[in-house]
Amino acid sequence: MSDGKTEEQDWVYSDIVKDHFLNPRNFLMGNESNFKYDAMGLVGNPICGDQMKMYIKVQDDKIVDIRWKTYGCASAIASTSALSELAKGKTLDDALLISAKDIDNYLGNLPKHKFHCSILGHDALRDAINNYRSNKK
Amino acid sequence: MIYLDYAATAPLLPEVLDAMHGAEKELFANASALHTPGHLAKNEIEKCRELLAKIVHAEPEEIIFTSSASEANNTVIRTFEGCQIETSPLEHHSIIETAKIYGGKKLPKLYSYMLANNETGEFLKLPSKKEGEYLHSDLTQVLGKMPIDVKGLGLDYATFSAHKIGGPVGVGALYVKNGAPFKPLIIGGNQEKKRRGSTYNTIGIVGFKAALEYIEKNRTWEKYDHEIRELRDTLAKRILSEIPGSSLNTEIDKDKSLPNILNASFAAAEGESIQLYLDAEGIIVSTGSACAAGDIKPSHVLMAKTGDAEVAHSSIRFSFGPANTMKDVEKVMDVLPGIIAKLQGMSTIKMKDIK
Repeated sequence: MSDGKTEEQDWVYSDIVKDHFLNPRNFLMGNESNFKYDAMGLVGNPICGDQMKMYIKVQDDKIVDIRWKTYGCASAIASTSALSELAKGKTLDDALLISAKDIDNYLGNLPKHKFHCSILGHDALRDAINNYRSNKK
Repeated sequence: MIYLDYAATAPLLPEVLDAMHGAEKELFANASALHTPGHLAKNEIEKCRELLAKIVHAEPEEIIFTSSASEANNTVIRTFEGCQIETSPLEHHSIIETAKIYGGKKLPKLYSYMLANNETGEFLKLPSKKEGEYLHSDLTQVLGKMPIDVKGLGLDYATFSAHKIGGPVGVGALYVKNGAPFKPLIIGGNQEKKRRGSTYNTIGIVGFKAALEYIEKNRTWEKYDHEIRELRDTLAKRILSEIPGSSLNTEIDKDKSLPNILNASFAAAEGESIQLYLDAEGIIVSTGSACAAGDIKPSHVLMAKTGDAEVAHSSIRFSFGPANTMKDVEKVMDVLPGIIAKLQGMSTIKMKDIK
């Protein structure tokens, strides 16, 4: 197990998942007021073990900055982190097209039993985009 | 690596490894055979039977070797197929699931209550059975941690496992009191006095014997009662005082739980994430979170105890063994507060919402 060559393969998740779990990108630490966002979206429920919030900052119909919060397992954290990287810089229309499969591909695939329960972030992102659009009306 | 998952599996003792390596070379023969190599193998099996019987205050003929504690548990439940079976809600799945399938309305009635729970370490009160009723207890977590007297406990059946005391995985044992009902689960052989068919697992049983010799010689229950209890209690107190949002799922009073298990929950932080952040720091623990087991529901034990899914999802079990020292506790507390603070900081659950 301590053999350097095989160490990474011994971990339960892929190297990319491990990296996004141990060094998550774009997460919002502490209070929500630490990030000036235009809209927020929410998915999941702590009772089920996973909950995600996406916060987006929008300019000219583009996601110019993004933050997230997650209560959940390692693959939930990694998949939300991956989604934030995928969505940053995209137009709202393009961001709406990001699917669970895209996140899974980006991460080099999660274990099958993790796919449905831990890739939820794109629903939170859609919720945020919808909230942004209805706020604007 | 700091290993704090002894309640899942204890590392093989060096004495066990030596004994099993020796047995691989010398005790390979079929222990049911009448020739000399077979007889030599059978002798070692019988020595293990006698030693386990002595340690738990049973007679050697009351001990049956199995492939696991789960098999021993299944055997007891299947003996009472169609009968009334009452179990505690905290039993292992090998009791609960089996009783659900095979329990019925007939008599006699069987009670199955573990003496100490594997996830929290907490003691259960054994039910008082009436005349004509039978009592089984899964003692998997208790062996080696406390002196055991199956007669004193009033048990008709008891389950043991080798790999929780530094023996190999793949060997369990069932105590069946002389005269108690018994139906073999594996039929088709004269082994174990026709109570369990299949070729004797000599090498595994030799490993079990070496582990039993270790616990008897070292009176490990005394070390657990003093040194290991101190490690567990110190970790419990430091978690409560140094980590916001922490709570204990184990009552650590001396008469409430085994000395080596601590189950704690960390509000707003999820168990699998805590477990894997600790793993990345070389600290090995387990969790009652659903995610970790690839299950949909969190631990039935913590749900039965707390009725709170969030508490169960956020739980970590630390289980100590003979190789742990106070340095291990210090190293855990060097990193755990930071891990919890990071997860709580990124969590959707706000800490100020938590009582």
